[in-house]
Amino acid sequence: MDDQLKLPEQYSNNYKKTKKPWLPYLIAIIGSAISLVIWYFLIYNYKSELLVNSFYISLPWIILISGVSIACIFAIYFRLVQLIHERSLTLKQMDADFKKEIIERMNAEEGKQKLEISLLQGQKLQAIGTLAGGIAHDFNNILYAIIGYTEMAQEDVMKESLVYKNLGKVLDAAKRGQDLVARILAFGRRHIHHEFKPIHLNTIIENILALLKPTIPASVIIDLQGSKEEYIILGDQTQLHQVIVNIINNAVDAMEDEGIVTMRITRLLANNTFLSQFPDLIANNYYKIDIHDTGRGMDQTTLERIFEPFFTTKEVGKGTGLGLSTVHAILKEHHGAITVESQLGHGTTFTLLLPEYQPDKLPNKPKEQTDGHHITSGR
Amino acid sequence: MATILLVEDDDLVRDMLAQVLERASHHVMNATNGEEAAALLKDSEPDIMVTDIIMPKKSGITLISEVKNKHPNMEIIAISGGGRLDPTGYLDLSESIGASVSFEKPVDKAALLMAIDLLLQGKHSSAH
Repeated sequence: MDDQLKLPEQYSNNYKKTKKPWLPYLIAIIGSAISLVIWYFLIYNYKSELLVNSFYISLPWIILISGVSIACIFAIYFRLVQLIHERSLTLKQMDADFKKEIIERMNAEEGKQKLEISLLQGQKLQAIGTLAGGIAHDFNNILYAIIGYTEMAQEDVMKESLVYKNLGKVLDAAKRGQDLVARILAFGRRHIHHEFKPIHLNTIIENILALLKPTIPASVIIDLQGSKEEYIILGDQTQLHQVIVNIINNAVDAMEDEGIVTMRITRLLANNTFLSQFPDLIANNYYKIDIHDTGRGMDQTTLERIFEPFFTTKEVGKGTGLGLSTVHAILKEHHGAITVESQLGHGTTFTLLLPEYQPDKLPNKPKEQTDGHHITSGR
Repeated sequence: MATILLVEDDDLVRDMLAQVLERASHHVMNATNGEEAAALLKDSEPDIMVTDIIMPKKSGITLISEVKNKHPNMEIIAISGGGRLDPTGYLDLSESIGASVSFEKPVDKAALLMAIDLLLQGKHSSAH
């Protein structure tokens, strides 16, 4: 029982921290000394006739005893006040420490949950990728047969006939199927090694935006903010192109062809607290690319599934649902990360993280690039 | 007109390609995998072999390397839709071990027939 009442060791040390622990003793000593001086004065300065009266005989002693007692009572009182003060300080400290610990535990738990979710997401994407690759391969053969037979059937009928035209429609439909298969296959092949080269991130983004400009409505403004410094990453230019194009196209769709897309590139040092949200990233400096649109935003259900393959909010035939899952896979391949924040009616922000090129740190630096002389600027 | 050995495991694709080749007046021999193709090659020597890459029993890659050893004059066309790898990965490999031409599925009909004609012309001119 007693053990439970004891303070933890680190707190019991706090008693030593009292500012004036000697004060109660000083009060007792000074009080006693004053009483003693009065007693001495009375004993040796009394006139002999006074000593006949018993009251006068006992007065010095009464003063001495009561003086010492009062001094001791004061000393004990002060000591008690000190103890209470110390204890309440300690309790406050304990309270603050417990709160801190609870917050730390909650953060750790949250981090663990995030990691679990991202692991699960990764496994899910990989499994679906493999499955999709297999199905796509067979489906491609089926479409190939449809196209081959249809073309042969077209050879056998008059070009002006309705049969020829209808067979043309069959061909169109089969070719659309092939386009879809090509995308699924491309998704399934994400894990295949791409040649990573040191590239200038900001130059590449500027080039991609220049290429994209003619394809987006004039009422959509793309505002690129960022330093003019050269940010270098190790990556595959074509894949990065795919990432930016996908996100911008989604943004343009979400804004119903009118609004502002803001892109901001910042450099985060390895110890930046923002990076601690991504426990599976390697310790490195990162470039953070925020892409914000002023579109309609997304609800929580959509947000949770946004990187899943085949998940799409677009009308049938308009989106394959592979765009963002491919983006997710590409970022992972680049040892980066992607997150999304959105609120209905308040737009969406995609945040991409890509590790800064540090020749000695990254695991898959290509052999021929070790001297880092050749840097692609993109075109 | 030439004799063409067509090796493809997918019935739909094989029948379709056979019909395409027959329409172009070629004689077609069918095999559903590398092993069947190798068995057919014991008794006959076609002018050209058109083979898929990913097949059960014996893959197109093994078949091509065997055929190049035993029948160095036979022209080989490889076709692939890719499996775990990018099709270009398999096709580059097949060309490096002896295929004269390679096509990614779906093969354009006209391109396939033209390649066959060119390979036959080359064969004839080298024979003379």
